[in-house]
Amino acid sequence: MELVVEGVSKTYDDLLVLNQIDLTADEGQIVCIIGPSGCGKSTLLRLMGGLEEPSSGNIKTRGSPPSDCLNALTFIFQDFSLLPWRTVESNISLVLEDHPISNKEKQEIINSVLQRTNLSEFSKRWPRELSGGMKQRVGIARALAVNPSILLMDEPLSALDSQTSEILLNDLIDLWDKQRFTSIYITHNLSEAIRIGHKIVVMSRRPGEVRETVNIEKALKERELRNIELEKYLWDLLKEEAVAAEREIGSET
Amino acid sequence: MKHKKNTFIKIPFRGSGFSYRKNYWISPVVFIVLIALWHLGSTLGFISKLVLPNPTEVVIAFHDLYVTGDLYLHVGASLKRLILGWTLGSILGIIIGFAIGLFSLVRAGLAPIVAAIFPIPKIALLPLFIIWFGIGELSKVNLILFGTLFPTIIATYGAIDNVDRSLIRMGQSFNLTWFSITKKIVFPASLPVILSNMRITAAIAIILIVAAELIAAEKGIGAYIQMAGSLFAIDRLLAGIIILSCMGLIANWLIGFTERKLLKWRNL
Ligand SMILES: Nc1ncnc2c1ncn2[C@@H]1O[C@H](COP(=O)(O)OP(=O)(O)OP(=O)(O)O)[C@@H](O)[C@H]1O
Ligand SMILES: [Mg+2]
Repeated sequence: MELVVEGVSKTYDDLLVLNQIDLTADEGQIVCIIGPSGCGKSTLLRLMGGLEEPSSGNIKTRGSPPSDCLNALTFIFQDFSLLPWRTVESNISLVLEDHPISNKEKQEIINSVLQRTNLSEFSKRWPRELSGGMKQRVGIARALAVNPSILLMDEPLSALDSQTSEILLNDLIDLWDKQRFTSIYITHNLSEAIRIGHKIVVMSRRPGEVRETVNIEKALKERELRNIELEKYLWDLLKEEAVAAEREIGSET
Repeated sequence: MKHKKNTFIKIPFRGSGFSYRKNYWISPVVFIVLIALWHLGSTLGFISKLVLPNPTEVVIAFHDLYVTGDLYLHVGASLKRLILGWTLGSILGIIIGFAIGLFSLVRAGLAPIVAAIFPIPKIALLPLFIIWFGIGELSKVNLILFGTLFPTIIATYGAIDNVDRSLIRMGQSFNLTWFSITKKIVFPASLPVILSNMRITAAIAIILIVAAELIAAEKGIGAYIQMAGSLFAIDRLLAGIIILSCMGLIANWLIGFTERKLLKWRNL
């Protein structure tokens, strides 16, 4: 499925957070959004996922999801959002339980996503027993279980240490290679964006606007660990905004 | 700090203390020593019989209670009132608390009334309840029900207000039904607070039942203590108090047990 954002603005009370955002994620494309803290990236993602409503403008999808898709727009959260009172297996089962599928099928889906995220041996564990990286794997497995057609990820790796996030980043790239989902990927990490984004959208500080869009043609699998030139280019775009945003008062979160 | 350049000094350990260590034998020893001192004091006459009888007499009072079947009678009467009132109060309180926590309309209607009734010392309602429900069981059960109900309502909706919103968002983002979110996310998330509140309401219930029985009852631990007091039978009075302590301990243990069963996801 394709995701289209047309002239979307969002205000909270009097605070204009997003101003006239236009962007498109094509079928099978990963769009990375970067921007200074508080510029409204998470807000934009919640709007895309239908968890909040835009003050003006439209957000639409085009095309139909795969036939066995249970939840077309699916989130992977920065803080994992696992239920601590459910085991790994049961956390995944949670998102299947409201659908008319047999227990056998449910178990098959669970086993399959656990295997795809290298979690099979941890299926009976409590979330508190897992490391951060493992928890996020569960988050990813849970998202895969509903066979989403668009994955919405809000800094999925930023709560992890850099080695773990490197491993998970590679796993995400492998997953994309197999399933070719469409995705919006928010990050603060420029090199991460350059590794996993087909398109990088740079936002200005609040009120967030699209400042620049950069397309990267090279296939994900063939990219180098770092692309210093592009990183520098993006950082120059961001720097001023980031310095100003950091000095701003009253932009919590 | 003048040390020779080439001498090595072992770094002294200074991180001791201020930490909790488990000690299983201290408390029974303290307990036994205290009883022994009491016994010694009574036997030697340091402690007047009018103030505190010899512990052996308390044991005898217990024995009498058991042999005559009065133990069963009094404890049974109190327990029946306690269990009935506390269970009904807790169930109703949880239901109303959930209604207030989940529906704005119910909150707007009920929360102020609950807030107004909550601070009334419930024992003050006993005379009113006796007029309404008679001197029998009903007034006492209702008193405990009332005493349990309001703290439970307040704890329950407070717990619901504090459920991590990001988990609810997560549920919504996966299109879970309202009922699923309530049952699988809101309820388990508020359970720890609801259970720890049960410890408090159990204590409140015991206070209320004793107070009610002291004032108006023929059977029950409170009535037994009241009778012992009016006869200056301190041995029996103490036996009654020890029974109350045991009831509190058992209630506490039962709730702790339930917590360990239901909240095993929390700790190892
Ligand atoms: N529910 C809300 N009510 C009021 N203001 C909000 C709300 N959610 C977000 N905001 C404000 O909107 C602005 C953008 O927040 P948002 O979380 O989208 O930023 P962000 O770009 O994701 O920041 P970060 O990079 O720090 O995650 C912030 O100033 C925040 O205070
Ligand atoms: Mg954010």
